[in-house]
Amino acid sequence: MRAAVFYGLFAVVTGGLLLQNMPGEEAAAQDVTQEVTQDAAQDAAQDAVQDDSSAVQAAPDTAPATPDATAEECFESIKGTTELSKKNNVVPKYGYPNVKCSPTTGAVLWYGDPYDGTEPMGEMPSYGDKTDGDFAEAVIRPRAEHLKTIIQTNMQCSVCHPSADPATLPNDPRQLMMHQDIVSDPQNLQHGRGAIWCFDCHNAANRDALVDQQGQEVSFDASYKVCGSCHGDLYSDWRMGLHGKRTGEWKVGGKKRWWTCTECHNPHTVQEHRFQPIKPEPPPALPRGMSEDDFKGADEHGGH
Amino acid sequence: MSEDKRKSEMVKEQDDGKEQGNGKVKESRRDFLKKMGVAAAATVAAPAITSTTAEAVSLGETFQTHFELMSDAQKEKAIARLEKRYTEQFGKQTTVANTPAPDGVLFGYALNIAKCIGCRRCVEACVKENNQSRDPAIQWIRVLRMERGNDTFELENLHKGSPDSNSLGDYGIQSGGHADKHVGLSGAAEHYYEPEQVPEDNAIYFPVQCHQCEDPPCVKACPVRATFRDPNGIVVIDYNWCIGCRMCQLACPYWARRFNWGEPELPNEDMNPKTHYLGNRPRMRGVMEKCTFCLQRVREGRYPACVEACPVGARKFGNLLDPESEVRKVLATKKVFRFKEAFNTDPKFFYYMD
Repeated sequence: MRAAVFYGLFAVVTGGLLLQNMPGEEAAAQDVTQEVTQDAAQDAAQDAVQDDSSAVQAAPDTAPATPDATAEECFESIKGTTELSKKNNVVPKYGYPNVKCSPTTGAVLWYGDPYDGTEPMGEMPSYGDKTDGDFAEAVIRPRAEHLKTIIQTNMQCSVCHPSADPATLPNDPRQLMMHQDIVSDPQNLQHGRGAIWCFDCHNAANRDALVDQQGQEVSFDASYKVCGSCHGDLYSDWRMGLHGKRTGEWKVGGKKRWWTCTECHNPHTVQEHRFQPIKPEPPPALPRGMSEDDFKGADEHGGH
Repeated sequence: MSEDKRKSEMVKEQDDGKEQGNGKVKESRRDFLKKMGVAAAATVAAPAITSTTAEAVSLGETFQTHFELMSDAQKEKAIARLEKRYTEQFGKQTTVANTPAPDGVLFGYALNIAKCIGCRRCVEACVKENNQSRDPAIQWIRVLRMERGNDTFELENLHKGSPDSNSLGDYGIQSGGHADKHVGLSGAAEHYYEPEQVPEDNAIYFPVQCHQCEDPPCVKACPVRATFRDPNGIVVIDYNWCIGCRMCQLACPYWARRFNWGEPELPNEDMNPKTHYLGNRPRMRGVMEKCTFCLQRVREGRYPACVEACPVGARKFGNLLDPESEVRKVLATKKVFRFKEAFNTDPKFFYYMD
């Protein structure tokens, strides 16, 4: 398109107009458009005039006003962990959605609102480093609410599991009658290499919460406190921002959403897969004229 | 980097600018335009000018000067012009920001290749954020897949395809390995991989994008200084000043620049209306484009889109001048390397491992 204007304009220029000693390029363009009367240059001239006269005219707000009826569902990080619904008009002026989902894998690809559904993370246990100040603006997405939906009910765990005295519960691995979707074979729990069992992390006295090594009750929202009590090195890296995902502002001390351990790792299968395998997004288009077969040949010979 | 060194570099760049940017380039561009006009007049003059108003590039835009040389008034005018055009073209209110580079910041990027699972969500997020052309498809990030480990030292491979050692005589001439099969390196890296699921057991993934070199070969190669380093160390392009010669693409050792061979196709509903002049505003045919660490986002304090999209948190971004930032802590505590370090391009993009 630019080339078209170049060509068209200079056709006119060479046709007789002076373009020597341009005082300035903007000015020259205006001079030309005022003098040009040929049909050939009319479109271009109109553009320039419109531009100069009405450049600051208010643009029509054509952002879609109604939210999308068919709300898209996408998942963050690992499928089955955290789902999000696409909401349009997070910033009505521009018509941003809160997220954009991948048409091929259904994964969240883009965050219009990185803090959607989050709440302040709160106090962090002190750890003897200097990063404590960075927690003031930290937010997380609460997990406790989500756990109700993955077991397909709206009930809390305590509805089926009334509180029990931990002392009376057998803390030995045994075959589970339920929750086999979460732990298929409890004799072969893929966490801790047989050294731990459900009640080392899940609070027997209150099934709606977790329990740490000291027997202290920990909310599902703060699962990192339980994870960190064994995985100290990773916990330390996570606190510093070297491990795990964060969204929001890049500034030190800026508002950030911290992703907690269980948003990326499934604690019950973490030994099998660090990350649950997922479907990748499609590869880039092959260069024009290159077929899949050509490419396979190239690969065998070590080409890139 | 020390403050003094930065200053001296900035002075050096300004001097360069005086010699080439302010004087000669303007002159040579004008000459170039004139020559083009003369050449074009003979051949494609009249039919080429037909255009619709929505897509037309105004004369003002055609004749605007290099963005860095514009006065504030000229910049405002140029931006208002673009906002109006994009708003009309894409049917949604579009802003073209001119957010200045924040002070005291040198952007750096760190990528954990031990974590990357090759899912390409960064690639797709980049396309969505930065208004890349969907067809012909342009992607700024390329994820290379390599075989884990190295089995080319196996005896079977060592002599595969090499001449019979008898034919060379017994003079200690090294045989083994040949043009098609490297020995000692796994060699092949491919980016068209398409498995059912990632990560694969036998692969590592190596995403490559613009490395934002401290000493960028692409900037040196540009004959019209359409590409340059911004004060935060990001290499940017003035798309309106780019003449599409593709010298920078040839100069880049990281395969990080993309050229718009065709008219970029960007569906209205997919267009991201929040843009920056030097960042993700829609590009035109015949210009170069590249990763800018999502300049439109990072200048306003947000992480780049690829960082936010990475499902495993392998990507870290921050201020290299701040010792408390994530990238500086990566540099201080992890095993770090830079890609093609021997070229002395000093990338601000670091790969690391746990």
